[in-house]
Amino acid sequence: MAAVRARKTSAQERQHWDRKWIPYVLLAPAIITIVVVILSPLVTTIYYSFSNIDLIRDRTTFIGFDNYVELFTSRLFWKAVEINLKFAAIVVVVPTLMGLFFAVLLVEDFVGRGLGRTLLILPWALPWIVIGLLWNWVVHSQFGALNGLLYSLGLIDKYIPFMADENWALVFTAMASAWRQTSFSAILLLAALQTIPEDLYDAAKVDGAGMRARFRFITIAWIRPTLTIVLLYNIVLGFLQFDAVWIMTQGGPGDATMLISVLLYRYTFINFDLGMGAAVSNVLGLITMGVGLIFVRLTYRSQSTYS
Amino acid sequence: MPAKFGALGAAIARKTATYIAFFCLLFWVGFPVYYMLITSFMDSPELGVKPPHWIPQKPTIENYREVVIGETGQRGSYGSTTEFSRMMPALLNSTFVSVAVVLSNLLIGGMAAYGFSRFDFRFSRFAYLGILMTRVLPALSLIVPLFIILRKLKLINTLWALIFTYTIFILPLTIWILREYFDTLARDIEEMALIDGATRWQAFRMVVAPLAVPGLIAVGVMSFMEAWSEFFFALTLTNSLTYPPLLMSFRNLAQVNWNALAAATTVGVLPPVIVAFVFQRYLVRGLSEGAVKG
Repeated sequence: MAAVRARKTSAQERQHWDRKWIPYVLLAPAIITIVVVILSPLVTTIYYSFSNIDLIRDRTTFIGFDNYVELFTSRLFWKAVEINLKFAAIVVVVPTLMGLFFAVLLVEDFVGRGLGRTLLILPWALPWIVIGLLWNWVVHSQFGALNGLLYSLGLIDKYIPFMADENWALVFTAMASAWRQTSFSAILLLAALQTIPEDLYDAAKVDGAGMRARFRFITIAWIRPTLTIVLLYNIVLGFLQFDAVWIMTQGGPGDATMLISVLLYRYTFINFDLGMGAAVSNVLGLITMGVGLIFVRLTYRSQSTYS
Repeated sequence: MPAKFGALGAAIARKTATYIAFFCLLFWVGFPVYYMLITSFMDSPELGVKPPHWIPQKPTIENYREVVIGETGQRGSYGSTTEFSRMMPALLNSTFVSVAVVLSNLLIGGMAAYGFSRFDFRFSRFAYLGILMTRVLPALSLIVPLFIILRKLKLINTLWALIFTYTIFILPLTIWILREYFDTLARDIEEMALIDGATRWQAFRMVVAPLAVPGLIAVGVMSFMEAWSEFFFALTLTNSLTYPPLLMSFRNLAQVNWNALAAATTVGVLPPVIVAFVFQRYLVRGLSEGAVKG
């Protein structure tokens, strides 16, 4: 008895002794590297945005809000905002609706469901750069798949140079992003749909609820938190997308696909105006963080209402 | 009788609608991928044909041969020997980077997630929220200061710059998902092991780690895919050492050999696609837990 107690005490003591320093050791590598690689550049970027950086003379001067004033009064910036809003609208609406459509399809029991679920992973597994290339092939003016298809079906008699047209270029760069996000959305929504208990539907049927009512009050209500998250991810991507657009159009034709991220790249790597680049990136960061915070609040509220 | 007939009709209508929708899914996902695949098995003249050949008339593996041995064969005017000869080294580099990122990410992220899950200490909540907040930062915007830091460390244009950067940018997601896993694992078994005289390390190794394997696999696969696919840092921090920026430089060649590009693209996406298909189940679970909880 005494032995057991002694053993227990020493275990507790050791545990107590553990608790003091072990967590710090466990967390140190993660926290130190995150501070060095993410937080310190973040602070630097904020500082840069209030500075004029002369790379040739290697001089950094503090200029207050001048960069922001210049940015907010430039036509280029507002043009980028407008283009980006249109782009984001497509990247939010198309994947969310199509994702829901495919998810609802893939909970059905039919031959081919397994194939469908596996195929769904494919766009999500491809690098953005490859997705940009794939869609290049789809819309190419000389041998594009879409032109080929329309031509084969007799709908057009000569190939359309889609990417030379400002509107089509924006639509198709957005569709490339939507293509991958549709998969992502469908995967998440499918996982949520699979958790709906079957008896909810049975009970609703007994109560005389029609198909539309069941869809709205059971399906949608049940997957609402996931739907919120899907929307959040798609909105954030709509503002952070760069890779796929860059390989497809580099912001062109003209400035037709100049998203805020493309503007940021131009300021930083083409004009080498690091101060303005930093100002753009902070605006972009505030937009995505704002979206994030709004959605986190919404999610918490809807969760507390439903549970 | 009419009621039964109606039910049968409804069932048929439902099946038909299901298969129409299924066809839409196949077309939407398959069409762009299929077109790239057939392009990679054609030669350049066939690619220009109108209307297009939806099945290659004289399929060739010449494009793949060019990509693998890094030569452009007889068609010297297309592509560039020097660019394509970088393909195989780039694939090796990408493999090295991705594997290194998976290992370091699991180690550092696993430790931190376990720490957050099992210990309540000063600033723990603050540190956890701080780490999670970094997930919504646009990585694009941190590149200039990051470049300066890595140049001071003399890591620019090395694979270590990528390993270092990727690991740390994936950490928040890893910590988030693994913490959820550790939180739900039976703590009492671990406590019992501790009371029975196991050290924390033994308890972790014998009890916690085996139970957390699905979570570790999910996180490992996700970080592999992220490291394999990342383009922007690879473009700015290195001189096309890995696969994604090299693909961009193939695309930007003065005279693009679209068929060889298709073959190069196909070869380069095999690793993430195979990994995704093999670990499909873990991936979907990790993805939905990582995205939805928290």
